[in-house]
Order: sequence, then structure tokens, then C-alpha cells
Amino acid sequence: MVSSNVDALGIIFPNSYDSMVPELVSERLMASIPFASRYRMIDFPLSGMVNSGIDNVSVIVRKNYHSLMDHLGSGREWDLTRKNGGLNIVPPFAQKAVKVYHGRVEALASILAFLRYQKEKYVVMSDANIAAVYDFEDMIRHHIDTGADVTMVYLKRELSAPVLTSNVEQGDFYYTLQLEEDGRVSDIRINPKDKGVQNISMNIYIIERELLIDQIETAYVQGNIFYERDVLFPQIDKLNIQGYEYTGYAAMISSIKAYFDENMRLLDEANADALFSGSPIYTKIRDDTPTRYTADAKVKNVMAADGCLVDGVVENCVLFRGVKIGKGAVVRNSVLMQDTVVEPGARVEYMITDKNVTITAGKEVKGTDTFPVFVAKGKTV
Amino acid sequence: MEKEMIAMLLAGGQGSRLYALTEKLAKPAVPFGGKYRIIDFPLSNCVNSGIDTVGILTQYQPLVLNEYIGNGQPWDLDRLYGGVHVLPPYQKASGSDWYKGTANAICQNISFIERYNPKYVIILSGDQICKQDYSEFLKFHKEKNAEFSVAVMEVPWEEASRFGLMVADENDKITEFQEKPKEPKSNLASMGIYIFNWDILRKYLLEDDEDPNSENDFGNNIIPNLLRDGRQMYAYHFNGYWKDVGTISSLWEANMEVLDPEHSGIDLFDENWKIYSRNSGMAGHHISSCATVENSMITDGCKIAGSVKHSVLFGGVKVEEGAVVEDAVIMGHTTIRSGAVVKHCIVAENVLIDNDAVVGAMLEGNEKGVATVASGVVIGRGAKVGPNAMVRKNVKEGEEEW
Repeated sequence: MVSSNVDALGIIFPNSYDSMVPELVSERLMASIPFASRYRMIDFPLSGMVNSGIDNVSVIVRKNYHSLMDHLGSGREWDLTRKNGGLNIVPPFAQKAVKVYHGRVEALASILAFLRYQKEKYVVMSDANIAAVYDFEDMIRHHIDTGADVTMVYLKRELSAPVLTSNVEQGDFYYTLQLEEDGRVSDIRINPKDKGVQNISMNIYIIERELLIDQIETAYVQGNIFYERDVLFPQIDKLNIQGYEYTGYAAMISSIKAYFDENMRLLDEANADALFSGSPIYTKIRDDTPTRYTADAKVKNVMAADGCLVDGVVENCVLFRGVKIGKGAVVRNSVLMQDTVVEPGARVEYMITDKNVTITAGKEVKGTDTFPVFVAKGKTV
Repeated sequence: MEKEMIAMLLAGGQGSRLYALTEKLAKPAVPFGGKYRIIDFPLSNCVNSGIDTVGILTQYQPLVLNEYIGNGQPWDLDRLYGGVHVLPPYQKASGSDWYKGTANAICQNISFIERYNPKYVIILSGDQICKQDYSEFLKFHKEKNAEFSVAVMEVPWEEASRFGLMVADENDKITEFQEKPKEPKSNLASMGIYIFNWDILRKYLLEDDEDPNSENDFGNNIIPNLLRDGRQMYAYHFNGYWKDVGTISSLWEANMEVLDPEHSGIDLFDENWKIYSRNSGMAGHHISSCATVENSMITDGCKIAGSVKHSVLFGGVKVEEGAVVEDAVIMGHTTIRSGAVVKHCIVAENVLIDNDAVVGAMLEGNEKGVATVASGVVIGRGAKVGPNAMVRKNVKEGEEEW
């Protein structure tokens, strides 16, 4: 491609780590979890790919993907409505012989035919559980410069409590990397309980398309499921697997508490700037009006999207699109998703309300700092 | 295939009474209401009324407008057959000419209209803030068996002489047209929105084009000619909100009215009649702990740490801690530094108002005027801009401009 920066196609796994946030994915998947007042989790890796010049992106969905289909549509908002490439949502085949995939190998096996006749040299794979400033172009450059067979992107931080207790039965493994001085990955640990700062894999992989096809063909006939455990780890000595350290801002959704904390963390302007001051993050357009604050509104430390109407008191909150706060209502330390209605006089503290929740007039609902209360989609309190 | 009705939107006007705001862009492209441009209103009205073919006649400073319209997708006007088309003057085998008047602009595009072979053509103007269902207007036009209909508003009698007035009988049939008369016989002001039967419009446009003395204007030429020939002409009463935002003070006023949808009649928040616009793509706005925000509209990308009261802020505006913004319209990506006081004014895009500068002031008594700052201007530290000022160039540190 003459006008494109990189010779790569993208693959996103939208269901990864669904099992860590069961409340949030009861009617959706990880990639379509609303985040940061007007986005969904997938907007971050997807916009990152587009901004890096990748205009051929496949999203391999597993289940609960209606909300994601609705969000992505034809991919126009990400400039991915293309004749060549563009956005490609791959649902599972509804056939008895084909089971819904578990691991990355099975997911990739389902699009092998597609991968074979693509033209791009490289493949960039990513999950959708981390909101970060993705510069895939730089990762690909690093991949080429180091002569790697596979590049794994990691970040340095301590393993959080929810990660340590992740649900292994669901196959939502997490990985840490041991690195040699030249950046080569010498060991991949699966679900380690190590204390202290670790090289946590972000599950972003860069690999040549032909090599990936070989790996998946072999692994699939052998009945292997997990790419990291069954493909990369056994070949760690044969393959030149390079680590790429991501040092930018990262919000990892590893539990409902982490979801709450990561939203709140963006109320600090330095954090919001770190996440948003780079290339634009694209999302579905709703054509909301600007947010209206009435003469009775009192707002402190709030991040809000368009389409809200604030007639009450709001402090330390993240308001998604179309939230309505009635007269005399008091909302503190809460995350209110799209079209939540807090009726007049209600008091809300330490809550996460999913889409279309209504807190009726005069009600008082409270969670705590360590245990924010979650109200499921469409419920009335 | 033919379309029942297509729209022709007059967007060529300079809007010279908006002075500093329209130096680099056409009036229909002037930002309005926090995230819109004026032209979003007629375009959204078209789509909401079921009109899917719109020709936009541009002439003055069309760059911003062209880029903004693009393929029309934000208004759902990217259609296989029809959709939105920007129509600048173009060269023909017989020569080329600028659009000489409103009627001439349409006349030069007869071949565009003929591609769709419509039964009716609605002529719209790109400089009004109004939510109107054009399909109701068309229904009226058909019921009256009209050849020409014009949308009219009742205006106070004492102001009537500022408008083009339609004198109509009890059946709404127009008997006389008065352009800004000294002694008005009617208080029905033309909104500049017309529905024509296409065959009639075509005939009169061609006839008018042959007349060397004509100004090629709808109000001055076409409508009087229709009257002369006793055509079926009707006045359609419109009772909703309508504002010609052709002056700085009316533009400011209309923005302020958006803040009070309960009383002003202009309700942008109505889900049943959305106004569409091209999206800025910025992150949600942030209001910090030290900010005060009351009775205002704030949109994506804004960062508010100062005091904002009774104001409309566009995307990406920054108000630093200790800055005061009141009764103001602040357009996109303008920064207001700490200690600055910005009141009763319109500040255009990408302006920097530096520390402790003062722009505009509350008016006293019968004083009129809205301070205006053109796009890209820097108002230096401690500089003062008076309540009637029209600032086109940078105001240096400590200087004053009145």
C-alpha cells in the first residue's frame, strides 16, 4: 500500500478476559465495555491500528457480540469501510462440527483461509482489555529492527489481586515474561503468583503472516488450543521471540473494582492527558447535544460525555453519554454509563450503573470505596 | 426515477454583518450552539423531513463549508441517488459567471435540478436557526393547490417594516408583497423559505434570466413577477422558533436562547428532531474540583477549571483556574488563561486570552453590543477589549481596544 505506513493486518480478540468481569459482560463482551465516558474498550486498540496505518482488521468474536456488532457497524467511524481490507467481523460458524473457540489457536484456525489470501506481510494481534496509547507502527519497526520471529508486548507492573485469582477454567490465562539482556524472551510463565514488578504480557503479538499460518496449521491438527502455552512456549529456544516494553498509560480491566478505579483514575487530568493526548480515539457517533448544566447544577471533578443533563450535584464522577441527573439529586464517586437517569432527590454514592439504569426519585443507594455497587443494564432501583 | 421534492440551499452569502466571524468562512459555516454550524439546521431539517437530495449553492469563502459537508454522511445524505451536492458557480460553453443573485444561483443550476426531475423544489436559506418540518409545509402547498408557497412568521407590527411582508387573504392566498415597506399592510414576514412547482420555477427563472434589468433575486424579481401574473401563491404560517442570525447580537442572543430551551422555544435536546453535525472526535470534557459551572453547555474536549456561567463552550475550550466566563459564546479550541475575565461576547476559534486580560463587559442601561474576537487572535496579558469592540488582530500585552 503506497499511502499506508505499515505492511500489516490486524486481528483483535474481543472476548479475552470476559471471565474476569462477569457483571459487565452479561450482555456484552470485554471489547464493548463502555470506558472513559464515551468509548468502548475496543476503540483503543482499533483506533491504534488505524492510526498506525493498518486498514485491514479482523475481529474474531466468540459470544455475546451483539453489542459489539452494533458498536462497530460497518467500521465507518474508524475509517475502515474499505473495498480492500477494512473491518471484518468474524462470528463463529453455526455448525455442529465447529465448536465455539476457546483459545487463540482455535480462533485463528477459523480464519486460516482468509489469512492465506491476504497480501500483508505482518500480522498484529491484540486483545481489548487494556485502554492504552497503542503505537503499532513503532512495535512493527522494533520487530523488523530486532529481526524477531515473534514480538510480544509487555508492561512492567505488579500483578493485581484479581489477576492472581483469575479464572483458569475459562482459559483466561495471563502471562509474564522473562527477558534476556538483548530483549529476547527466555521464559513465558503462565498464571504465576510472583510478587513484585513483573513483565506482564499485554497479549499483543507481531509475527509474519506466513509463519503464523504455519504455526496455526500445525498446532490445530495437534489439537492445541492456547497460542502462548502450546505454540510459543514449546518453541521458545527455536524462535527469536522479542519483548517490546510499553511504557505509556495503561488501564487494564481485570475486575469490576479495577473497572471502577480505572474510570476514576481518569479524573486526574494528567492521566486523561496521558491516555488522550496522542492520536485520536474513534468511537461510534451518537449525535448527542452538548452537555447542559442548569443554574442549579453543582459539579466538581467530573468527566462527562455529550448529551448529559445535570440539574443536581455531581462530584468525582464519570458520566457517559446521555446521563440525566435530576434536580436536588446528589451523585458522588460513581460511574454512570449511557443514559442512566438519577431522578430528583436521589442520592448515589460509590455506584457503577450500567446502561439505561434508573435510580428513582428520593432513593438512596450507596456502595463503599472498596466495594462499589453495580446495577445491571436496564434495571430500575 | 424522479424525486417528489428536492431542496436548494442558498449558502453563498458573505454574512458581512457578522464582520470578523465571516472573514474566512461563509455565514452558513459559522459555529453555533456548542457543536453545530448554522447549516446543520436546514440540512438536519431536510433529512428529518424526508428530503434526501440537497443542492448547496456556495460562492463566498467555500473551503470550510466544502470540507465540513464532505460526502454528507453526518446528515445521512450520502446517497446512491441524490444526497448532498455542493454547487459552486462553474464554467459553461457559453461562458461563466458568479451567482448574481439568489434566483440566478438557482437558474445556473437548472440542469442539476432536472437530473432529479422533481415535482416541487424547496428553496432554503443557510443562515437561519430554525427547526421546521418541511413535509408539513409541502402538505400545505399541495392542499392549497399552490404554484408557489412561502413560509411566513408573524412579527410585531412595530418591527414589520424591517422585513419582506406578505399580504394574504383569509385563505392565506397572497395578494401583495411589500419589501421593507414604510407603511406595512401585514405583519407576516417572509422567512425566505419557498416551495415552487418545478415547472413554474423553471419558467420564471428563465424569463428572469432574459431580463437585463433584473437583479435576479427571489424577493425583488421572481415573487413580484408571479404576483403580476396572478399565480396561485400562498403563505404558510410557521409558529416555531426562527431566528435570522445575520448579526453579531442576534447570533449571540440565539446561542443564549439555546441555554433556556424551556422558555426560548429552541430545543436542541428534542430526541424526535435531532440536529446532526460533524463530530469532533475528542474525549469527554473534564470539570475540575476548583471549577464552577452553571447554566451552561459544555462539549467534548473542554477542560474547565475556572468559573463558567450562562455560556456556550465549543469543543476543546480550556478555561484555566481563576478565569471567569459569563454570558459568552466561546468557539472551539480557544484557551482562556488564569485571571482573565470574559463576558458578554463571542470569541471565535483558536483564540488565546492570556492571563488577566478582560474581554467584553456587562452592559449597563440601554447599552447594546457584544464584543467579538476573530479566530486565531491573541489577547495579551492584562489587555482590555471593550464591550463593543470587534477584534480582528492581536491585542498586545496591556493594550486596550474599544
